[in-house]
Amino acid sequence: MTSPSLATPADLHQLHEAPDDLLAAIDYCYAQGWTDGLPVVPPELARVEAMLEWAPLPAEAVIAQHPATGLELTVHAAAVNAVMAGCQPEYFPILVAAFEAMNERPYNFHGSTASTGGSAPLLIVSGPIVDEIGMNAGVNLFGPGNRANATIGRAVRLIILNVFRMTPGIADKSTQGHPGKYASCIAERADVNPWPALREELGYPQDVSSVTVYAAAGFVNVENHGGSTPQQILDSVADAMANYGSISAGQSVVVLSPEHAKIVASTGWSKAEVRAYLFQHACRPLDGMKRVGKYLERELALQARAETRGLPDADGAVHRGLSANDILVTVGGGDAGGHSAFIPSWSRGRGSIMQSKPIGVCLDC
Amino acid sequence: MLCTRPFEVTARNIARGMGLPQYPFAILDHPLGSLTPDQIRGRAEDAYTQALSILLDDEPLLDP
Amino acid sequence: MQLVDPTVQSPDLQNARAPKLASLQGLTVGLLSNGKLNAELLLRETAALFVARHGCTVAELVQKGNASAPAGPERIETLVAHCDFLLTANGD
Repeated sequence: MTSPSLATPADLHQLHEAPDDLLAAIDYCYAQGWTDGLPVVPPELARVEAMLEWAPLPAEAVIAQHPATGLELTVHAAAVNAVMAGCQPEYFPILVAAFEAMNERPYNFHGSTASTGGSAPLLIVSGPIVDEIGMNAGVNLFGPGNRANATIGRAVRLIILNVFRMTPGIADKSTQGHPGKYASCIAERADVNPWPALREELGYPQDVSSVTVYAAAGFVNVENHGGSTPQQILDSVADAMANYGSISAGQSVVVLSPEHAKIVASTGWSKAEVRAYLFQHACRPLDGMKRVGKYLERELALQARAETRGLPDADGAVHRGLSANDILVTVGGGDAGGHSAFIPSWSRGRGSIMQSKPIGVCLDC
Repeated sequence: MLCTRPFEVTARNIARGMGLPQYPFAILDHPLGSLTPDQIRGRAEDAYTQALSILLDDEPLLDP
Repeated sequence: MQLVDPTVQSPDLQNARAPKLASLQGLTVGLLSNGKLNAELLLRETAALFVARHGCTVAELVQKGNASAPAGPERIETLVAHCDFLLTANGD
């Protein structure tokens, strides 16, 4: 996909005269405060222009606006930071779509990036673009080694730092944060997924890929190598979802490993049944919530607001989330290993709702 | 506007971004969430004292 | 080499503080809560001191609804219309 920019960066944007020596240019970027702590690719003019060739919108189009400060992310600014992150130009439409998603009000861009909760935007990419640009959906899903996963995720953080000025300690008040704040971008695994792909569930045409953005807290590894029934596997996941450190009225993301997904789907469970089971079993007794100081009726009522279905349950259990619809289930990771992931949402309640966008196209236009 | 000390730098950052770098606010000890009602009443006295200056003074103290 | 700046300009926001008050006697206090633990209690207890010491009245407390999102123009307009000064709190 190519789309020429309407104006060259040199006409419209500030240029810095940096040393020709590459290492000195890297140091220049450090001195300007443009990095995430790691060396960046100096945003050389020709590289930015090449990135803009893959822009699905004009260079001066505003993709996202910070709700508290009014700072705006243009396609151009996104391209500069994408270069710095090390992105190939063909990755760029994913980055644009991701920030379009974060710009949706229910995502709560300011809160999720400023809060003591320390969340990071997790990008889950689904559809044909995964193979087209060589994303990793398999072994070491959340780890390093794949350029697309690593640099798209990193570009998100560089934009948050450089464009939106969510500087740690000043605007970003994360108490501890988590490693995903460097980069959090994964692909949904299609080849061994027993259920419809995320982009299909979103109702996108078959040739359109999706990116789902989720304000993710640090994830919980769910290890189970002995379970052989859907219930055994899902009980492990549900227990992780309801851990006292994570339980809230917020959403959840569950990434089942291929080994776990195969067991869960082995007796014909649909994804809807999986989500319903997880919701039913991801709960804590009311007494337990009070014992650890996490049950406050007023706060739960506030956080649940109009969506509440009457927490707690008649049986005195406080569930994670408000319904099964709050749980995204997908498949990813290597073929071997009974290790799945539960990823809690940012905030003590429902501060952010995950958002999805089509990549490279506008379906509502 | 009331905030606790760890959030002072954040509040000043927002104020600067809004074009009001000298905007005064009350700064209280942290934390608040885990305090008892009696302790909150103590913080309220502090908040009231600082709020008085902000509301009535020409040059309210930015960091009492 | 020429490097393109990755940052953006701040929007030009024209804001000004409200003028100081001549007196607090009999004024109406507005309360805007972010819903965090003890936020409402702190605001109400602070407002109670204005009631006791200056004869103020307290308008109905407004919840922001989302602790980490701006209050929104509708809520702000409502508050401005119903109080003389506002107590609110940010952070935790």
